[in-house]
Amino acid sequence: MNQLEIRDLWASIDGETILKGVNLVVPKGEVHALMGPNGAGKSTLGKILAGDPEYTVERGEILLDGENILELSPDERARKGLFLAFQYPVEVPGVTIANFLRLALQARLGREVGVAEFWGKVKRALELLDWDEGYLSRYLNEGFSGGEKKRNEILQLLVLEPTYAVLDETDSGLDIDALKVVARGVNAMRGPGFGALVITHYQRLLNYIVPDRVHVMMDGRVVAEGGPELALELEAKGYEWLRERVKEGA
Amino acid sequence: MQVLDKTRVETLSQALGEPAWVLAKRLKALEAFHHLPYPTKKDEAWRYTDLSEAPLEQEVEAPRGLRLSRDELPELVRRRLEKTDVSGFLVFVGPDLVYAEVPEELLAKGLVFTSLAEALKRHPNKVENALFQGVFTEDKFAAQNAAFFTHGAFLYVPAGLEVEKPLGVFKVLLEGEKASAGRSLLFLEDNAKAAYIEEYLSPDLPPTLHLSATEMVLRPGARLRHAHVQTFGEGVWHFHRQRALLERDAGLNDLVVNLGGRYARSEVASELLGAGSESEMLGLYFGHGRQHFDHYTLQHHVDHHTRSDLLYKGAVKDEARAVFSGLIRLERGAQKTDAYQANRNLLLSPTARVDSIPQLEIGANDVRCTHGSTTAPVDEMQLFYLQSRGLPRTLAQELLVKAHLADVLTRIPLKALRNHIEAVIEEKVRL
Repeated sequence: MNQLEIRDLWASIDGETILKGVNLVVPKGEVHALMGPNGAGKSTLGKILAGDPEYTVERGEILLDGENILELSPDERARKGLFLAFQYPVEVPGVTIANFLRLALQARLGREVGVAEFWGKVKRALELLDWDEGYLSRYLNEGFSGGEKKRNEILQLLVLEPTYAVLDETDSGLDIDALKVVARGVNAMRGPGFGALVITHYQRLLNYIVPDRVHVMMDGRVVAEGGPELALELEAKGYEWLRERVKEGA
Repeated sequence: MQVLDKTRVETLSQALGEPAWVLAKRLKALEAFHHLPYPTKKDEAWRYTDLSEAPLEQEVEAPRGLRLSRDELPELVRRRLEKTDVSGFLVFVGPDLVYAEVPEELLAKGLVFTSLAEALKRHPNKVENALFQGVFTEDKFAAQNAAFFTHGAFLYVPAGLEVEKPLGVFKVLLEGEKASAGRSLLFLEDNAKAAYIEEYLSPDLPPTLHLSATEMVLRPGARLRHAHVQTFGEGVWHFHRQRALLERDAGLNDLVVNLGGRYARSEVASELLGAGSESEMLGLYFGHGRQHFDHYTLQHHVDHHTRSDLLYKGAVKDEARAVFSGLIRLERGAQKTDAYQANRNLLLSPTARVDSIPQLEIGANDVRCTHGSTTAPVDEMQLFYLQSRGLPRTLAQELLVKAHLADVLTRIPLKALRNHIEAVIEEKVRL
């Protein structure tokens, strides 16, 4: 059961149902893309995977390597190896990146992490992201540009080394250089011990992070799946043809 | 109320061997004490404060002449001495000065740092011009302190002497159920420089009344860093009043920290009497359980070209309450004043409450004055973000409380003191 599996997931916010029976599997060792038009429920799915208390899960299961994590708090999920790169990373003035990241790493590993070990990890990540060490003493995301915030998410991904990562529109608002840097970070994580679900609205990111599989969400459900070529097809034809096909199918 | 009468004051003054003028002052304060009513919620400055459970009429504990060696000091103090910024200090256990350690080299330069009783005997002239100038009979509790105080510290820094390392007082309550009343008098001559830390410590106690007063006189060009750090155990009702008189070009960096006790009230005033004087006023508090903290501040600009910068930040959880009431008062002569006041509060539970009342009274026209106040619950988005990286909710909350208080903490250059405050905050988050 080495996979992240979402089974018949229904969820709502403020009485409005957003997810209407999502089924999706990301095997460990693979990177999948989740695409779809605005309002399809992609970001909602990401937040629910991480345990955002704003949403109510009405039905279904989220299985992390076979274990249902739906009842677990966000921090328990993270310590089990799940990571969400936020679409809108939160600013936390007064907490430095260095302090936060070390506490997070200690929580992830369940043990004290010495300064040398911590700096070793962080330095490698910073180099990969072509990022200045000075950022570590800055307050978490405070006053960061959109690109800096996204880079900071990938920094955390690289240092915490989760088993499964969900990247929620990490490409939005990035210029091509920043996009390449983010992709470099994610690609560095690729390997048999890591699975990822890359949520994106555009095909552009997938030129740099080539997915093993592509899933397409519409109206709260996964309506199509395929190989990387599906992303190109969507880019060329838009989502309407798919919407028509889904209607016909129904 | 036999325990708070004239005979008591006379006996106390005699036992301490005080000069006649001090007894006269005490008796005057006693009159005020008897004349003034206990405050109630009908008084504007007490409208948010419930004193119905306060042990107001406790007998003031009399000195016993206890002395201790450094090794015999209470555990609470010894632990603090392991990590402290102070190089010289006095330790009071209840009303007794039990231990003193003051660097010889400072004494040789004319510095005086001793108990008030001792100072009244050996340096009467230095004390007479200053004692009760800052705090006397402003309200019931100030009057009670002036009439019945049993102990105190006196610091005198001669002109031009710059004392590098802080000096301090540790006040410890070990037994409860009796009132304790003490004072600090700090006198800095022209261009003198010093730092002074007052720490208030106790284990959990039955209801106990504690009164303290701090008077500061800063002669022209003098610079003082002052910290009042209260970490009493449960049960203590702490009433503190302080007033600093700043003459021309004098500068004060003040810090008030309330973390302990059942109730704490700090009334803190900076009187900017001389042109060019300036006062930084920092406050930090974190209440849990049924704790209630009151902070009343006054930035009083009397002369021109004076500056004050006040930042009080606090957090409350459980059913704790806090009140901030800050007044900036500008007299007519206070042109070119720069006054700033901010109070920011973090609510960690729906049953915690803060009342924040910033006030301005402006009698001059060519001034720059700003004030602001915010009170908001902890940001659930921030909590979720931190938790999503594996930090347990309590640790995430602790980070957010410390982050909220960070801009006060980072303005405290005394590293050991800052660590101590952070450690107490961490403990309280986990309670």
